[in-house]
Amino acid sequence: MYPFGGILSNLVAFGDFLRSEYGFKTGPGELLDAAQVLDIVDLADESAVRNALRSALSKTSDDAGVFDQAFSRFFFPGPPGLQQPERESLHRAMGNQPDQAEKRVQNECPGAAEQTEEEAGQDAPGASIAPVATEQPEVAPAVLARAGYSPLEAEALVESPRVGPVAPAWRNAARLLVKRLHWGLLRRWRPATTGPRFDLRRTLRASLQTGGEAITARWLRRPRRSPRFVLVIDGSRSMGPYAQTALDFAIAIASVTMRVEVFVFSTDLQCITKDVQRAAAGEMRNLHPLQHAWAGGTTIGRCLRDFNDRFGSRMTSRETVLIIVSDGLDVGEPDVLRRAMSALHGKSAIVVWLNPLIETPGYEPTAAGMRTALPYITTFFAVNDVAGVKRLSHSVHLRR
Amino acid sequence: MTDSSSIRARFRERGFIIDDGFATVLQITLALEKPLLIEGPAGVGKTESAKVLADVLDTRLIRLQCYEGLDAMAALYEWNYPRQMLHARLSEAGSLTLEQREAEIFSERFLLKRPLLKAITQDRAPVLLIDEVDRADEAFEAFLLEVLAEWQVSIPELGTIQARHKPHVIVTSNRARELSDALRRRCLFLWLPYPSLRQEIEILHARVPGLSDRLAQQIAEIVQGLRGLSLQKAPGVAESLDWAMALMSLHCDHLDAHTIEQTLGCVLKVHEDSEVVAAHHAAMQFTQVESRDFGLGSVSTPGA
Repeated sequence: MYPFGGILSNLVAFGDFLRSEYGFKTGPGELLDAAQVLDIVDLADESAVRNALRSALSKTSDDAGVFDQAFSRFFFPGPPGLQQPERESLHRAMGNQPDQAEKRVQNECPGAAEQTEEEAGQDAPGASIAPVATEQPEVAPAVLARAGYSPLEAEALVESPRVGPVAPAWRNAARLLVKRLHWGLLRRWRPATTGPRFDLRRTLRASLQTGGEAITARWLRRPRRSPRFVLVIDGSRSMGPYAQTALDFAIAIASVTMRVEVFVFSTDLQCITKDVQRAAAGEMRNLHPLQHAWAGGTTIGRCLRDFNDRFGSRMTSRETVLIIVSDGLDVGEPDVLRRAMSALHGKSAIVVWLNPLIETPGYEPTAAGMRTALPYITTFFAVNDVAGVKRLSHSVHLRR
Repeated sequence: MTDSSSIRARFRERGFIIDDGFATVLQITLALEKPLLIEGPAGVGKTESAKVLADVLDTRLIRLQCYEGLDAMAALYEWNYPRQMLHARLSEAGSLTLEQREAEIFSERFLLKRPLLKAITQDRAPVLLIDEVDRADEAFEAFLLEVLAEWQVSIPELGTIQARHKPHVIVTSNRARELSDALRRRCLFLWLPYPSLRQEIEILHARVPGLSDRLAQQIAEIVQGLRGLSLQKAPGVAESLDWAMALMSLHCDHLDAHTIEQTLGCVLKVHEDSEVVAAHHAAMQFTQVESRDFGLGSVSTPGA
């Protein structure tokens, strides 16, 4: 029933499976935990093993959500007692991992070597069987369907957008924006070289260097209260090249403040904060596969409602600057958008809507989506380049 | 205290109902001595589980409540400098040498232990609850990683303090921001969702003694229904317990439309939510409850 023989080789293969099929970040550390965990629970109790492995191998709620499915797919690929054609396909799905996996197991635990060799012998004929049509992950048909819309689009769809560090000019502009947006001072005191309050503790500590005489005075000051930035970027087809500019803007902000969350949406919403932060740290990378969140149609209302339901209460507060980047060409119901905008408007400090079309001569925000959203927007602006960010930082104000 | 069923039973004795999954994870956490990261919606008992665990293990609960701007000093240790200064002044006239006086001033007497240091200097392994870690900033998270990995704290004036016993660490997060991968990797993970209908009824019975089967069933059903609506603040277990207590104190033995209207404030905390529920009132939940109430009378616990 299982793809491989020994318990460790199964575990290693399961780790590979989670990594390749479900995007888990399963490393040797996790596998080691999982192996220890299997030592503790009753191996005959399926649900105990399932629960135990879930806690050791999944690290986020998304992981935990798909873990059960992955567990069943791997360990129980079909109804018991039937032939398991997927067994071979599973091996293929992992890029012919069995050999690699077993080699690794052999290296790591010599005791398992005999088992795995035996198992490799059993598997060898299986590997030569003609490919069996396998179940693709659910997202694939939708992506293909959308790719079929236009041959040119298909090219663009194969890869998620590529992100990387932005030019210093972007960073400087973003720094200006972040610096301008703050509400007075925080209530707590932080050590500083100058400041309004004397820091007795640090002065005493410093006096150790000067033989007990407090010569250098240390001070405390209250840092600025800076907002949290939440960017919601429209990645739909109609945004075209502007979406990339919006990503650059997000990366620029992420490189000057840690308090930023970034989402993209097209017909579905996805959080890309991690990718953006790593890009801001200097890594060139393709965005994590964006399925319905990139280069599709636009349902702004539904996506914003979705954002509000899933993240609204956690990520928006009176200290949040919500930046929506979209052209406002919505195909959804205006009423959904109105309610979502009203809720977000109430929850965040200000709502900035960046619309790349504004700079087009003669543009009027008359598209249904834009007209609906307009009353809930604090600042309506366009950022198409670095100069745009600078202009934005001069025209955005925190207090309504 | 080693297998999951006994953990479950001990938790149940203390009125905290956990399912097999949670019990297994706790068993593993105790065996592997790794921190356990619990995420889930507000009000499902993340913090409470740590308190109950401390009670079950008969050990101390040390709590580090995270907040924005929490720094190492507030989490680890601080010198009691007013007292140090006073002592230095008072002992000026003494016959001690400078070294002796310095050693005295920087001794444990003048050390204010904050939760993390307190947790590693206990005689028995305590339960260390690091609550709402998502509220602290990333820098603190990085610092936390260091402590959680080494279990030792270096104080320049005193030297390195090694943990006598590794605390059982429970980290909770409300997902106000995404935690770093590094922290996640070091923890076992548990997603604690809202309880199922059957569990919720069990919880109501365990926490509100004297609650009738019928009322428990009704409360649980309505609250579960409310969680299905798109509310701004979905009711947690704490809310359904509040509601049950409120209804008990009003001597209600069943729910009808009038009682619900009067007491829904126990469950819904946002005005807009009450409007959403009112809009659903006629169509969904409440007609069902009423008809079931009058049609079936006292309902026994179902297998959910």
